[in-house]
Amino acid sequence: MIGLSHYLVVSAILFSIGLVGVLRRRNLLMLFFATEVMLNAVNIAFAAISHYYNDLTGQMFAFFVIAIAASEVAVGLGILIVLFKKFGSLNLDDLANMRG
Amino acid sequence: MENLVYIALFAPFASSLFAALFGMSQREVFVGIVASMFIGTAFISSLLLAIHLYTTGDVINITMMDWIHAGDFNVSFGFVVDQVSVTMMTVVTLVSTVVHVYAIGYMDHDKSFNRFFSYLSAFVFSMMILVMSDNFLGLFIGWEGVGVCSWLLIGFWYHKADQTREENPSVSPSWAANEAFIVNRIADLGMLVGIFVLYWNTGTLKYDEVFAQLPYLNNGIIVTATIALFIGAMGKSAQFPFHTWLTDAMEGPTPVSALIHAATMVTAGVFLVIRANPLFHAAPEVSFFIASLGTFVAFYAASMALVERDLKRIIAYSTLSQLGYMFAAAGLGAYWIALFHLAAHAFFKALLFLGGGNVMHAMHDELDIFKMGGMKKEMRGTWIYMTLASVALAGLPPLAGFWSKDAIIETAFNEHTYFLWIMLVVTAGMTAFYSFRQVFMTFHGEDRHTPLGFHPHEMYKFVLIAMSPLAVLATITGWYMKEYEDFITELLPHYEMSEHTHHLASWLGLVVLFFAISGIVWAYLKYARIGRHAWKRDKEKEQGFFYKLLKNQYYVPKFYEEFITKPYAMVSAVFWEKVDLKIVDATVDNIAKAFYKSGDATRGMQTGNLSNYLNWMAVGGVLLLVIAAISAMFV
Amino acid sequence: MDNILSVLVFFPAVAGLLGFVIDKESARAYGITVATIEFLLSLWLWFSFDMSDAGMQFVESIPLIPNIGISYYMGVDGISLFILIMTTLMTLIGMASMSVTKNIKNMIVTLLFLEMTMVGVFVALDAIIFYLFWELSLVPMLYIIGAWGGPLRVYASIKFFLYTFTGSLIMLVGMLFIAYTYYSVTGIWSFALTDWYMLVFPKSMQLWLFAAFFIGFAIKVPMFPFHTWIPYAHGQAPTIGSVILAAVLLKMGTYGFVRFSLPMFPDASVMAIAPIAVISIIMVIYTAMIAYAQKDMKQVIAYSSVSHMGIIMLGIFAMNAEGISGSVFQMLSHGIVSGALFMLVGVIYDRRHTKLLSEFGGLASVMPKYAVIFGIMLMAAVGLPLTMGFPGEFLVLLGFYKVSPIMTILAGTSIILGAVYMLRVMKKAFFGPVTNKENLKLKDLNSRETWSLIPLVAIVIWLGIYPKPVLEPIDNSVKAMLHFMDEKAITQEAKDIIKLSKSTKEAK
Repeated sequence: MIGLSHYLVVSAILFSIGLVGVLRRRNLLMLFFATEVMLNAVNIAFAAISHYYNDLTGQMFAFFVIAIAASEVAVGLGILIVLFKKFGSLNLDDLANMRG
Repeated sequence: MENLVYIALFAPFASSLFAALFGMSQREVFVGIVASMFIGTAFISSLLLAIHLYTTGDVINITMMDWIHAGDFNVSFGFVVDQVSVTMMTVVTLVSTVVHVYAIGYMDHDKSFNRFFSYLSAFVFSMMILVMSDNFLGLFIGWEGVGVCSWLLIGFWYHKADQTREENPSVSPSWAANEAFIVNRIADLGMLVGIFVLYWNTGTLKYDEVFAQLPYLNNGIIVTATIALFIGAMGKSAQFPFHTWLTDAMEGPTPVSALIHAATMVTAGVFLVIRANPLFHAAPEVSFFIASLGTFVAFYAASMALVERDLKRIIAYSTLSQLGYMFAAAGLGAYWIALFHLAAHAFFKALLFLGGGNVMHAMHDELDIFKMGGMKKEMRGTWIYMTLASVALAGLPPLAGFWSKDAIIETAFNEHTYFLWIMLVVTAGMTAFYSFRQVFMTFHGEDRHTPLGFHPHEMYKFVLIAMSPLAVLATITGWYMKEYEDFITELLPHYEMSEHTHHLASWLGLVVLFFAISGIVWAYLKYARIGRHAWKRDKEKEQGFFYKLLKNQYYVPKFYEEFITKPYAMVSAVFWEKVDLKIVDATVDNIAKAFYKSGDATRGMQTGNLSNYLNWMAVGGVLLLVIAAISAMFV
Repeated sequence: MDNILSVLVFFPAVAGLLGFVIDKESARAYGITVATIEFLLSLWLWFSFDMSDAGMQFVESIPLIPNIGISYYMGVDGISLFILIMTTLMTLIGMASMSVTKNIKNMIVTLLFLEMTMVGVFVALDAIIFYLFWELSLVPMLYIIGAWGGPLRVYASIKFFLYTFTGSLIMLVGMLFIAYTYYSVTGIWSFALTDWYMLVFPKSMQLWLFAAFFIGFAIKVPMFPFHTWIPYAHGQAPTIGSVILAAVLLKMGTYGFVRFSLPMFPDASVMAIAPIAVISIIMVIYTAMIAYAQKDMKQVIAYSSVSHMGIIMLGIFAMNAEGISGSVFQMLSHGIVSGALFMLVGVIYDRRHTKLLSEFGGLASVMPKYAVIFGIMLMAAVGLPLTMGFPGEFLVLLGFYKVSPIMTILAGTSIILGAVYMLRVMKKAFFGPVTNKENLKLKDLNSRETWSLIPLVAIVIWLGIYPKPVLEPIDNSVKAMLHFMDEKAITQEAKDIIKLSKSTKEAK
């Protein structure tokens, strides 16, 4: 039987993969992917817990997250394109203009 | 009569202001003359007041105006002319007048002639406030005022450079002036504490109101107050251990030494004890201490005078010694005898100093008696004056010093304090010896000054004439002791010798006389003869332990320098350089620096690389989680 | 003239604004004129002051932000009146004696603004207004030190600013807390001091609030160990800056203690007597010794200032009318005397561009007038009777003797140590032979310097001989304050220590 804990474990594994991606990746596009992975990990957890408690609030929240993630990607990709046009690269090491 | 009081008080002030007007201009003889006339006016007023008091017995009380009023504390400028203050007023103004006239001659060549008179008159004014005030705080005004004037006058020749102690034991006039001021300030703190004690326990500072409350005060308070006041008196009257400034004060011009550091200011401490006699009388332990200290100082100072070579310092030691006698009398309860000795001493000591000033003037500021000798042929008038004063100081009848000093010594016997009595008798012998040693070495014996190129000349005639009142008084004061006793004991307590003492009185007198005369004879044999028996310097003896001990004033100044002055300077420097800059200030700066440093150190985080930021964010998130978990455990 | 206080506060500021359009040549004359008018106005305040009334007079109150109870609320009593007059006097004299020529117009405008803030502090009865002026006063001073100062001026001015600013922020927190308490007790917001006086706090809260105010005031005073900004500020400031700083700005701290801490927290104040007395004694002795070790004339005066402030602090916490009145009097005396001493050091600095004692010697022969005035001020600084320095110092020590004899004796060493370092300066700079050839051709005081110093000499002697016109109103207000404190105190020990004068007791 697949229980709540299995979902949560999957969610945790996904979140960790995403986090490692955020921490290790240097390419901005890859960072976006990693963020999406983390968001979806959270979505899985929301849905699973919502089902477990028979409370739809969690699933509603998952939809919110999906919607926000979509809009974020839209805006973010736009910025990425502008950045790429300006700098010719999406590597973060090349974009360190704010160095203190 | 009130007007006379104001004239006596403010004539010196007017004189000082008048002279100050010309303070920065060239020497003007009329400044000295006018100043002397002002002081003379004050003397005449004081004398009239004295006569008035003598004939009618009316004590005059005047309140001039309010001074300090805060909370319940209320003190006014109030003056009282009673038997004690009128004695002091007369003595002070008389000696001052003589000294003012004397100074016209003595300061003849000084370019700061006018300034000198301004200071000197200001001193007289302060002294008059001191003696006339009817409350302790008014006395304190005068007390501090004479301190400042003494500072100004000791340091009158401020332009002289510092020397080492070997060259000049007093270093320099400005050094000696500062020493005098600071030592007096230390004692003044004691005086202030005495005033505080009296105020908080009696609610007033007026003499008669304070004394009226004495029966209601407990013994501890009286003892504290008397000790504190006496500390003040010790400073002003240069009693051990505050005595070092007095000999150093001889750096001032000689008229100053005569007026301030012999006749008047230094006796202020004795005056305080006499003025506050009901208070001191109520504290017999303290009074006995005063008598013992006085006796000790009398002996101690006389011993240092035995080997001194500096003419003025010898006289200064004798002043110190005589102050000891006065304290001995006051401490033993014979207040009026102390006051009588104070007056007599003022006359003969001022005369002695002024004579010394003549010698100094003649010898172009040379004071070493080893370089004098045989000067009586050149300076006959001065010789007569100084011999007369020395006879009075030595205590030979019929001169003033005999009567007053003999009475003090008799008191010591009468109080059964035989040890004090012996000390005082021995000191009387020593006094005779050193004062005649100085007279003989200066005026008699071999002529040692001509080979050294000195050609002394007698002082101006008018100066010698001006000194004559002192000479007369130094002679005759003692003859009126009985009359004075009747006059003064209307205010001060009687002092009766017991039957037993009375019986022995003439024998006691003879003992003192014996010591005094043997002192003189010994001095004569040693120093006054010429030819084969003439005095020769004994360098070997000068290397002896006791000689060096006395010569170095028992190493007390050295001790003060090594254990107070130098450590103070050292600790001050440490406080500044090590504590204030390195600890207190550095702490403040380090706190400020910590902010800068932490900013500097964390600036590295700002790489501009988003990836790094994300890493830090993750670290922060984890930290928050950990904190949340830990706090959850405790809830 | 009902709104005389507003005129006093804002006249210099308005005149300062106008000063921007004045020609550079006449800026100085303009400044002196304005300062003179201001001084005359403050004298007028004194003459129309009702000496028998111990409460606030010339009160003005206009609500500014009624919602949170901030109002424009001003008044003077005997305590603040004379500090105010001293402020206008020292601004006038400082300006008249000023030797600055660089950017003279800016200096004049800055001084006039500074005068506004200083007067404002002493008349404000609303905590927010008080705080406003308190902080504003830092700005002109920062500018004066930073723009006209010596080589280390930036460091000194920033240290001065940040240090005092930090302290006052903590004080601000205390103020907000009191206002909040007032609101929760009465339901009305108010920052008026007279309203706050009515609040009775429990003992522990009093202690916390006392501490908050203490830090703000203590840094300003400055009390040990918060005093280290002052040697730098004085060392780097131009003469006029030091004069104002020593004469007025430091008094803001001690005034704060009298105006805020004592009447609002009587129990905490009584409990704080011992620690504050210890700190004061450290200030008196320790800084007097440091003053002795200084090589720079101005630093001697700077440290001596701290030492004298110790005496003032001690008097405030004597908790009897003698001590507190003496302390307020001593504030005036210290303001005038140390101001004059800084001016005197400025005189020699203008001539030689050095203040090092080792550079001088024998000045009394070259500059006799200068030496005489220096001597008089020196004697006032060491508290000689019949100068202004005496009544204050004497009353403080007298008052504190009631609290603790031993501590009074320790603090009384001030009269000894003060003489020690001051006479050292006198001896090193003025006595002895003229050793430095450069000093031989020094000119004595010129007429500008003489005439700005003579009034101070006159005041020092006048108030030494006859302090009554000043001391009496101070004393009245102080007695009223003590009476108020005694009624308000909640603990018995505080009531025991606060000593009422006989006349107050009878009135009670």
